[in-house]
Amino acid sequence: MTGDAPDAAGPSPTPASASTPPSTDRLPRGELVRAGVATAFVTPLSAALDDGLTGYLRIEPGEALLGGDGGEAVVTLDDGVPVLAYDAGGDADGPAALAALAGAEPVRVESYRLPASTLAALHDPAADAPTPFRVAPDAPARELAGDDALAERTRAAAPDDREGPGDHDALAAFLADEERVEAVRADARAEARARADEWGLTDQLDTE
Amino acid sequence: MVEAFAVASGKGGTGKTTTTLALGMALAERYDVTVVDADTGMANLLFHAGLADAPVTLQDLLAPDGSAVDVADATYERHGMRVVPCGTSLAAFERSDPARLREVVAELAADTDVLLLDSPATLASKSAVLPVVLADRVVVVTQPTIPALSDALKVQEYATSYGTGVAGVLFNRVRGDLGSVESQAERYFEGPTLGSVPDSDAARAARDAGEPLLAHAPDSDAARAFREVAAGVDPEPKAAGDVADRFRSAVVPERP
Repeated sequence: MTGDAPDAAGPSPTPASASTPPSTDRLPRGELVRAGVATAFVTPLSAALDDGLTGYLRIEPGEALLGGDGGEAVVTLDDGVPVLAYDAGGDADGPAALAALAGAEPVRVESYRLPASTLAALHDPAADAPTPFRVAPDAPARELAGDDALAERTRAAAPDDREGPGDHDALAAFLADEERVEAVRADARAEARARADEWGLTDQLDTE
Repeated sequence: MVEAFAVASGKGGTGKTTTTLALGMALAERYDVTVVDADTGMANLLFHAGLADAPVTLQDLLAPDGSAVDVADATYERHGMRVVPCGTSLAAFERSDPARLREVVAELAADTDVLLLDSPATLASKSAVLPVVLADRVVVVTQPTIPALSDALKVQEYATSYGTGVAGVLFNRVRGDLGSVESQAERYFEGPTLGSVPDSDAARAARDAGEPLLAHAPDSDAARAFREVAAGVDPEPKAAGDVADRFRSAVVPERP
């Protein structure tokens, strides 16, 4: 799965800049510190924060695990705090990448450590034009994990000048995907009817 | 004349109880309002309403011998509205007979204009979904995040599947500018976007003080926003007997 990624000891990959996606094709592989299937995003995100991990999470969505073509996503971290996000499966940047990943659990997550200097050029907002890959520090905790306490801890751990794009850009990207929102609604309607049957509430259903 | 609203979110932590009491207080300026803590599994309205020491609660009414307790004994006049708190005793919860909730609500419905049911933050059991099934309309409370909004949409679909209307969606605990989110969301909800309430330390302080937000910090931005939201909720009175009959004839929920 990471066969194409250069090894940490191998030749340096193409130097990344603010306009190139932070993908495993571009980033040095780094040191694998953790890998596994997570049923909730809170697990890898809180582990990265607790470890103060500088590097990245390589995320393989559930649909890819089940044989679909879900691709992979990357969230880079500086001292445990998310900085950039890119979803290679949908070619989505920053907040839109989070919108694409939301609800994708279970996910396989590999956590890699990199020297801070390797990511410095990518993470420094003053180094290049504003990168479209940047996310608010607490956005992954809010939008992927739905965990207020983790979002609060992440915000507190982020440097004061580490601002992302608009606070609600990921939600806006989610709502812009009409097909996806309608799928959520259709699933919920089907679930409501299935459970009504299970709970003996069928007579209460609106049959009009 | 009464309309029953379920205040529901699907996801926990959206500030649903704060919302229930805020809407209750704001609507109490125009209507006779009764608030019921229908979240019997995770009751916390009593802490928000200064009723932590209430001698009689909904739990006593739901006890097997609850018919001996008068509904009025578990109903407290607070901040211009009637409040029926639920106790937090695990033993009482295990003894409780949720089927009696129907009778309690039916009795309350006979004597109020607006009935607000603070609903469980889950749709995972029959008891939890019952307030949404039985209410006339649901006020959907969400935070502006993808997981919370997905759950809010789910609540709406459960409600409409049961023929329950949607009074609207309320964005709560909002940090920063919502941008286009309110208008974008409106396309997917059956009711209007009722408004957005900023995340507020005042809401947490109010809860710690055992007071509804509108009593504790009436001039806070959050309190102002809740009053604006309430102004957009226009109760549609129905014959009290209709609501009472609906609750009385409702299916019996399973034991918790």
